[in-house]
Amino acid sequence: MDRLLLLLPTTTYRTQDFIEAARTLGVDLVCASERPNTLEAQLPDRFLTLDFTDPDGAAAAVAEFSRAHPLRAVVGVDDVTAVAAAAIAERLGLTSSAAAAVATARDKFQMRECLAAAGVPIPRYRRLALKDDPFFAARGVGFPCVVKPLTLSASRGVIRANNVDQFIAAFRRIAALLARDDVSVTGDGAEYVLAEAYIPGVEVAVEGLLIGGELHTLAIFDKPDPLQGPFFEETIYVTPSRLPDEVQRRIREVTASACAGLGLAEGPIHGELRVNETGPWVLEVAARSIGGLCSRTLRFGTGVTLEELILRHALGRPIVSLDRERRAAGVMMLPIPRAGRLRAVHGETAARAVRGIEDVTITAHRDQELIPLPEGWQYLGFIFARGDEPAAVEASLRDAHARLSFQID
Amino acid sequence: MSDDLKTKVQDLIDTMINPAVAGHGGFVELIDVQDNRVYLQMGGGCQGCGAADITLKAGIERLIKDELPEVAEVLDTTDHAAGANPYYTAGKA
Repeated sequence: MDRLLLLLPTTTYRTQDFIEAARTLGVDLVCASERPNTLEAQLPDRFLTLDFTDPDGAAAAVAEFSRAHPLRAVVGVDDVTAVAAAAIAERLGLTSSAAAAVATARDKFQMRECLAAAGVPIPRYRRLALKDDPFFAARGVGFPCVVKPLTLSASRGVIRANNVDQFIAAFRRIAALLARDDVSVTGDGAEYVLAEAYIPGVEVAVEGLLIGGELHTLAIFDKPDPLQGPFFEETIYVTPSRLPDEVQRRIREVTASACAGLGLAEGPIHGELRVNETGPWVLEVAARSIGGLCSRTLRFGTGVTLEELILRHALGRPIVSLDRERRAAGVMMLPIPRAGRLRAVHGETAARAVRGIEDVTITAHRDQELIPLPEGWQYLGFIFARGDEPAAVEASLRDAHARLSFQID
Repeated sequence: MSDDLKTKVQDLIDTMINPAVAGHGGFVELIDVQDNRVYLQMGGGCQGCGAADITLKAGIERLIKDELPEVAEVLDTTDHAAGANPYYTAGKA
């Protein structure tokens, strides 16, 4: 039986879907987390504790483990574990993009350096040292700009600045964020921020799977809520895109050129692009699949999940179809409206009753401390919808959301 | 048959599983066994824990199936959103 190593941080939403896919495929599953599982002592062949921020150390530990328990594949589920998984795969000779390419994609500055060299359209950018005086750092920055950490995800710490005063405030706010106990960034990620030109236009997300260097676009998601700042909270994703076919073709082309420019060749990618009258602009391409529970919008062939596709590819098993189902699908990530503690959620039944709604999943737990953007990174939950047309899906999501209320003290 | 299996699963939970998950302030309750499917509920530090799925599917299910191969599946019936004190808290990634 094939043995699969999944790298699952204790903070990820992705665990259930990847474990379910592993069960469907009947693999012998080994789970690694950054903190010990409560059953690790009983099942040392099933659980590993790895420092995901030290890819080489993780690779050495897994190489040792694999002597007694040979692995067929290793898969990371987020930005941090993707880098560790690539290092492990490289060491063990398993299917993966090159570790250096995945690490480059993880660092927003290195990514832009690479994409710029490859001629991929990206915003004008500068890397700024946090030790510098933001007043002087602002001198080389055009406005409006977007200031962001190098390595955080989920729009965490991403702030628009329209002038020097806003830039200085954003710079200091990100510096404070990076110093928080719940932020574990090291190296350049702890010492620099990125400032890049704000690109007006609509934003899309691209989900893809690289096989032998070829990008297979699995879905293009429209983001119908405007993302204009000052923070960039993601809410609704709907696929298929309603953009003209020619624009979608260019999105696929530009994303593929970004993957090639980065040297990514195998496995899932998640791209974020802005699109305006001059065409698509790559904001980022990550060597991982879509975050949160959003992958539940995607079904392929006869109902195969995104996670099963990813695992099949990593395991070298046949993939019957990469075609998404014909129906439109969407998800709404429920934003945190304000800081506080979640005391109650009302209206779930009414939200589920909305036509087209498939599920409402509240992931925040009762009494959980809620931290909104830009410091926070979590969601209250997710709403999922399907319908004949993208517009109907979007309407269902908005209707369901309007029926929910959250008591936050 | 199901009652007999239920007794054996309960015994495993009492002797093997709960002493282990107690280390993270958690516990597991047997809800039912039907058609060789074991329905569990997780509480304490396990309820809402970011690693609950890992613990259940890669850990508890494996422990139960090793001892009781006739068990087809172990299913979680926990309302994890109601967990007030999870050992690890999930977040987007």
